[in-house]
Amino acid sequence: MSGGFNEIHPEPTTFFSKYIISYDHKVIAKQFLWYGIFFLGVGGMMALLIRWTLANPGVPFPVLGNLFFSNSGGVVPPDTYAMLFTMHGTIMIFYAITPILIGAFGNYCIPLMIGARDMAFPMLNMLSFWFAFLSGVVLLASFFLPLGAAAGGWTSYPTLSTMIGSPGAGQTLWCVAIFLFGISSTMGAVNYVTTVITLRAPGMGYFDMPLTIWGLWLTAILNAIFVPVLGAGVILLTLDRVFGTTFFLAGASATSGSGDPVLFQHVFWIFGHPEVYILILPAWGIVSDLLSFFSRKPAFGAKATALSMTAVTVLSTLVYGHHMFTTQMSPLLTQSFMTLTMTISIPSAIFFANWLGTIWKGSIRFDSPMLFSLGVVFVFGLGGLTGLHLGTVTTDLYLHDTYFVVGHFHYTMAASVLLGGFAGIYFWFPKMFGKMMNETLAKIHFWGTMIPLNGIFFGMLMMGYAGMHRRIYNPFVYESLRRLIPVNNIVTTSAMLMGVFQLIFVYNFIRSLRKGPKAVNNPWNVGTLEWTIPSPPVHHNYDEIPVVRCGPHELGNPNLKNGRDFQYQTEELVKG
Amino acid sequence: MKRGELQINLATNIAIISMSMLFATLFMGYAIYRSSAPVWPPMGMMKISLLLPTLSTIVIFISSFFCYFTTANIKKNDFSQARRNLNYSILLGVSFIFLQCLIWSHMKSIGLYTHSGIFASITYALTWIHAAHMIAGLIALVYLKKILKPETSNLIPKAKNIENFWYFLEIVWIVMFLTLFVF
Repeated sequence: MSGGFNEIHPEPTTFFSKYIISYDHKVIAKQFLWYGIFFLGVGGMMALLIRWTLANPGVPFPVLGNLFFSNSGGVVPPDTYAMLFTMHGTIMIFYAITPILIGAFGNYCIPLMIGARDMAFPMLNMLSFWFAFLSGVVLLASFFLPLGAAAGGWTSYPTLSTMIGSPGAGQTLWCVAIFLFGISSTMGAVNYVTTVITLRAPGMGYFDMPLTIWGLWLTAILNAIFVPVLGAGVILLTLDRVFGTTFFLAGASATSGSGDPVLFQHVFWIFGHPEVYILILPAWGIVSDLLSFFSRKPAFGAKATALSMTAVTVLSTLVYGHHMFTTQMSPLLTQSFMTLTMTISIPSAIFFANWLGTIWKGSIRFDSPMLFSLGVVFVFGLGGLTGLHLGTVTTDLYLHDTYFVVGHFHYTMAASVLLGGFAGIYFWFPKMFGKMMNETLAKIHFWGTMIPLNGIFFGMLMMGYAGMHRRIYNPFVYESLRRLIPVNNIVTTSAMLMGVFQLIFVYNFIRSLRKGPKAVNNPWNVGTLEWTIPSPPVHHNYDEIPVVRCGPHELGNPNLKNGRDFQYQTEELVKG
Repeated sequence: MKRGELQINLATNIAIISMSMLFATLFMGYAIYRSSAPVWPPMGMMKISLLLPTLSTIVIFISSFFCYFTTANIKKNDFSQARRNLNYSILLGVSFIFLQCLIWSHMKSIGLYTHSGIFASITYALTWIHAAHMIAGLIALVYLKKILKPETSNLIPKAKNIENFWYFLEIVWIVMFLTLFVF
């Protein structure tokens, strides 16, 4: 239902109601952004500790090693190493990418880009952030337990995650934190889906929505359906750990009925595979829009891109078994899952080709959001192609649990999403904060991220192909892996380098917030609705609800005569 | 349909879909455990008496009727009757929780503890998780009681959706009753 009226909520007056328990989607978006950036730093630091350990086993971590691991003389101990890779994965996926891509961009962009004054349920939105906050506190608290945080891998497979594999309370707090985060995500999903359906500005059909909104909307649908599946899994795991139930403990089946450790894997991946798309869909949407905006051309096949993303969303629910080819699954099932997995290539290839079609013969402006978007095209291409090896049963049996898998999923859901997230931050920063970021620093940040990033993840692909397994504390005790020490050194050096370049981003972000030049209403000259209002927008976004008269990518129209090469969505399409 | 009404309907339906997925996952697990067990309940374990689960079913069933009448009364602007029916519905909801406590107590008395194997694990987990949702449902009914005034905006859609949530909990219970206790 488009059209109609949104109420103007009274503007909050106290510090508490304005910044802490704010109902304003823009403030909640910023809360999620700070939250995500904080955890990105924590998770990134863990990545560096992991990489250091792999390249320099037994050598103290420079500078901070003695602070963190004083008992072992600054060296990461083996049990802490398991904790680090577990929490690195958990934090990056749930506490860094999700809050930034979905929490921050979802909250900020959805109402502004569809011409609404706020989300459909502002209070639910506020609660969604505070549930996420509570979840983050529980997760961080688990680091201070006697036996430390969870260490059974981010997938928390039993029996590693049961009381047998993880005796401390860390794994239990992990389950509680994930459940709380699931409640937050579901609340957000209810809000996003309802807002997109009911609060679009008059005249805005579904295909008039920017592709960013398509990505966020599809993500919300997946979240609403599949996060509760993980919720059920972690409840049962918690019951096993706290109340002694036997869901995931194999036992004597005749006398007590047998639990099943592999069942958790099914439950986890029924959620886990859609989760990959939950993370990547917002980035796809953002990139699809930005490529068009900075090529000064309409998005090539925008409708097909939206439908392809929808097709991927549907197919993503049917392929989870490819994560479990090595669990003695029936060959009939593995073949079916393989075929379905390969089918995803078709819609993916369609929107990928559309991205190339969009930039083809465009008047490309290499501003920082565009550089990061082009980065996504490159790294997602590599990530997608390496997925074919893992979706095929015969090659997966060899590559399963190697660094090839680590390289592949980092290319798809870490590199692509990270670069997409940076593209979004550089693009919407002027609207969010009313200031411009420094373009030179942004470009240095891009190259300082893009080059080492490929050093890291391509190196991982090579190591995995050469047979190096993941999650090993010191792979070099195995003679066959010693020849991979140089590659590991390259990967670790790249990771350190990439870490250093992120400091430039932090510096640019903070400096621009304080001293950046004032942003005009529409610094990028694009036509979507959020650029029709001041930067930053007023509390209620729109004095008058806009009426949409054309699509979001009306750029480079040769019939335009007013000196602009773009049209606002509120303007009638100029025809020849 | 007005925008507010559509929003409330959509949000409730999405929330119900989410909760359905949670219960569907639990039932899927139950189906796998049960179909892979040679005998059910496993050897040495007694079946749980049908008396208390049957009483629970009757209680939740009648409670839903009162919930239905509450909304019907609101639609007719008969607020005093609506309040009365809502009170009965809440009372029966609390009785359902009480009956669940009796079921857990009965399970202990026949030696079924949480650590007694997969049969007890499943029964406790499903009934606990359902009871937690029932408490959420009761909070929703108490909220409805609080806003049960003619001047409340969107009162009918709010009441209708709380009623739907209550039906959802009833349906989940009936599936549990049939699969856990009867067959």
